[in-house]
Amino acid sequence: MKVFNTPNKRMFLDMNWALFITAIVIFSVGFVNLYSASSIRLEDGITHTPFYERQLMWGGIGLGLMFAVILINYKILERLASPFYFFVLFLLILVPVFGKTVYGAQRWLDLGFFSLQPSEFAKFSVLLMGAKYLAKDGETLGWVRLFKLLFIGLVPFALIVKQPDLGTGLTVLFLIGGMALFHGIKWKVLRICLVIIPLTLPLSWFVLHDYQQERILTFLDPSRDPRGAGYHIIQSQIAIGSGELLGKGFQEGTQSQLRFLPEKHTDFAVAVLGEEWGFVGSVGVVVIFCFFLFCIYSTICEARDRFGSTLCAGIFFYFFWQVMVNTGMVVGIMPVVGIPLPFISYGGTAMMVNCILIGIVLSVSINRFVFKA
Amino acid sequence: MSHKIETKNYEPPRMGLLLLQFAIAFLFVVFFARYWYLQIHRGEEFARLSFENRTKIARIDAARGEIFDKNGVPLAENYITFAIAIVREDTPDVDAALAQISEWTNTSYEELVEKYNKNKYYVRSFDPIIIVADLPLELIAPIQSQLYLWPGIHIVPKARRHYPQKNTVAHIMGYVAEATKEELQEDENLSLGDIVGRQGLELMLEDRLRGKKGAAAMEVDVFGRSLHREVISPAYSGENIYLSIDIELQKNIEHIMQNQAGSVIVMNPDTGALDALVTLPSYDNNLFVTGFSRKEWDAVRLHPRYPLQNRTIQSMFPPASVWKLLMAGALLEKGVDPRDTVFCSGVFKLGNRQFRCWSKYGHGNVDMKHSLMYSCDVYYYEKALDLGIDYIADFAKKCGFGRRTGIELPHEASGVVPDREWKLKKIGERWQNGDTVNLSIGQGFMLVTPIQQAVYISSLLNGGKLLKPQLIKDAEPEIMGYTPISPEHCKLIADYMFATANESRGTARIIKTEGVHTGGKTGTAQVVKIKMQGDRRKKNHEMDFKERDHAWLGAYAEKDGRRYVIVTMLEHGGGGSSAAGPVTRDIIKLLFPPENTKK
Repeated sequence: MKVFNTPNKRMFLDMNWALFITAIVIFSVGFVNLYSASSIRLEDGITHTPFYERQLMWGGIGLGLMFAVILINYKILERLASPFYFFVLFLLILVPVFGKTVYGAQRWLDLGFFSLQPSEFAKFSVLLMGAKYLAKDGETLGWVRLFKLLFIGLVPFALIVKQPDLGTGLTVLFLIGGMALFHGIKWKVLRICLVIIPLTLPLSWFVLHDYQQERILTFLDPSRDPRGAGYHIIQSQIAIGSGELLGKGFQEGTQSQLRFLPEKHTDFAVAVLGEEWGFVGSVGVVVIFCFFLFCIYSTICEARDRFGSTLCAGIFFYFFWQVMVNTGMVVGIMPVVGIPLPFISYGGTAMMVNCILIGIVLSVSINRFVFKA
Repeated sequence: MSHKIETKNYEPPRMGLLLLQFAIAFLFVVFFARYWYLQIHRGEEFARLSFENRTKIARIDAARGEIFDKNGVPLAENYITFAIAIVREDTPDVDAALAQISEWTNTSYEELVEKYNKNKYYVRSFDPIIIVADLPLELIAPIQSQLYLWPGIHIVPKARRHYPQKNTVAHIMGYVAEATKEELQEDENLSLGDIVGRQGLELMLEDRLRGKKGAAAMEVDVFGRSLHREVISPAYSGENIYLSIDIELQKNIEHIMQNQAGSVIVMNPDTGALDALVTLPSYDNNLFVTGFSRKEWDAVRLHPRYPLQNRTIQSMFPPASVWKLLMAGALLEKGVDPRDTVFCSGVFKLGNRQFRCWSKYGHGNVDMKHSLMYSCDVYYYEKALDLGIDYIADFAKKCGFGRRTGIELPHEASGVVPDREWKLKKIGERWQNGDTVNLSIGQGFMLVTPIQQAVYISSLLNGGKLLKPQLIKDAEPEIMGYTPISPEHCKLIADYMFATANESRGTARIIKTEGVHTGGKTGTAQVVKIKMQGDRRKKNHEMDFKERDHAWLGAYAEKDGRRYVIVTMLEHGGGGSSAAGPVTRDIIKLLFPPENTKK
């Protein structure tokens, strides 16, 4: 099997350009927004913290990674899936033993020269392992195969949630669930699942940490803690709402400039956008993300094999999940979970992960045709 | 593309693709709807909340008006002190902040907590709550250097009231105090820590002194730091007020009176303006602003001569012989010929009661002029019975007695003009002729305030106008009424006063001053019944001070068109002539310095 795609004219023409360009557009919107979000108004004018410069750097690195991944023949990933999966599980087991604790959570492995967050790799490993497992058989899932598939996700989920990092854990679970639904579940199985899952959800309350329970309660009623956790929710909605139709204008957002808006360059970045660009800007961003997802969808349709399409479907759900949870949190229809908005929120790791995933989709799009020898 | 071969034997699951389409549509619909709801449907509301978030209305305090004497000497002024305050909204940990303040200022933590808890509900969350006032200056710099560690703790300037003349005008100025909770609730223009007048002119002139607060809109960031400030309405300082009081005169009179308890009023009989309003003993009104120590408060509270009392307007005394000035007016208006004489043998018999003249041997035949000059009692005993109590009481009331003069100071006493009804109600007995006899020489139930005497004597000089005593410089004279005494008779009584002060055997001769037209009437109010030591009346200095007589002298002095009414009242001071006389004489010398010492 070919390990690398040879860069040639065919590859250039077959690539899903729409996806690539949409990603660049979202990044640009995010970058411009970050420029505004990183500014703070003081007595003597506006000062910028250099987040936007570093975001540009991460974007460059991400683009490099994306091209590197494009060059890899995605079929090779199917073979690497199992060893990679078990390697990541090994790392996740190491975390509670050797991991360092930051802000009360043990998520990092200190390698001396840099720190590693195995839960980020877990997303990849679950994506690959899930796609590999589902690619073996096109038949819709019965009880046995569904449980085997869920098991692939539940082991890393349990390890990640223990760190604790509920956000990443749920992401992993959502990926597996999404891929299973995409693949298809036998109706009799699905029927029972649809009954059982809502019933088991309340039970999960009791395994949540106190602060996680608190967040959910605060989400349900922000006024119960208006100066603490509820403050984020309230101020974020004020920021967005006060943008009204056309927004307050670029760098004119008082909620963000005067620092009423928390985490405005990371988790709440889209609130800055809503405040400054109004309803038009906010819905614009939603539309771009929808188109972005549609671009991934088009590659899923065109993929030449089940592994490729299932893998892309997993990536589709990954992005869908992040947009849903982040924007949902910012507009107050989801609890506060620290999940960033792809390409809009500031953050190096997330940027690299997102670029690699797009690279994989682009690789699938390039290799969508089967050639005769 | 010829080399591409469409051999797609793989088709993605159809239901899966539908699921993805649904997901995209779901994303769009949910967020479109939510953004619509937040930004269009409730946009205005959130825009307002965002505006309120960043805009705060701050008070601009107005300086309280200052008070000066007629020559511009400050009597009440403001100075700046510094206080440590907490802004509740910006303080993440109030307990820690209070503990830190307690450490800085070396005050007890519990005390500060109590103060904070007591006051926190009366200020808006972004207004400072004063925790420690009057910060010693040497503490400010070290505290200031650490404030950056303590968001929410501020050093705020606070205007304080100060009375540089202290005791000398304490009763006139009164004092201020921080507004009480009740006042804060009643008056929305007041905020916690504001000072309001409590006594004296500070209280009476509150509206003019207070000024008007301003407001400023501030754009603030989340830490409450102000980025932009715009004055919405400017603050207007209170009015600066000049008094008719001459502080030099006031001080000199104080000096002349030495340690005696009593009061002196120097009043312009034509305008009612008061040049001096002295009452002794006095107190330091600054202590009411800064707070008394236990010892200081006891010193004021337990003082045997009640320093808090403003004797010029609050103390009531029998008018004694000064009252004869009113009786003279009453007689003249009844048509009594001033040349009519009465024989004074030293005693007046009414039924089986004997009423003595102050002169044991009598004055012989006296007319009105001489009755005033010698202060003959028998003349009035006899004449009063002719007039009758009803007429006298009515006449006294028309001359301003028995009611307040209207001076702009709180708690003025109205005095007592007894009549039949009064006695029946208060004492439960019927009016006797003996009461009328007693009343005729200003003894018995009759009670007046020194200021009433000053107003009445002024009316004799100005032709019958009862003027409101004025404390404000250049105030428009206010005529509260007219006495029933005709201008001619006023002049006649004033002339008799001149004779009393200037002719031989006049009882007020002590105030005769070279080059000054003076007149006066003395009075000696008995506090207890005349005590005899064998055949001889006990002398004042032989008695306990509380049993000694009150000394009165109502006088006027005029020179070069300038004239004053001077009422001197020395509580338990002794004889009108012997005690009040020298004081009044010295005051006249102050008002009209002898030519050779004039600069």
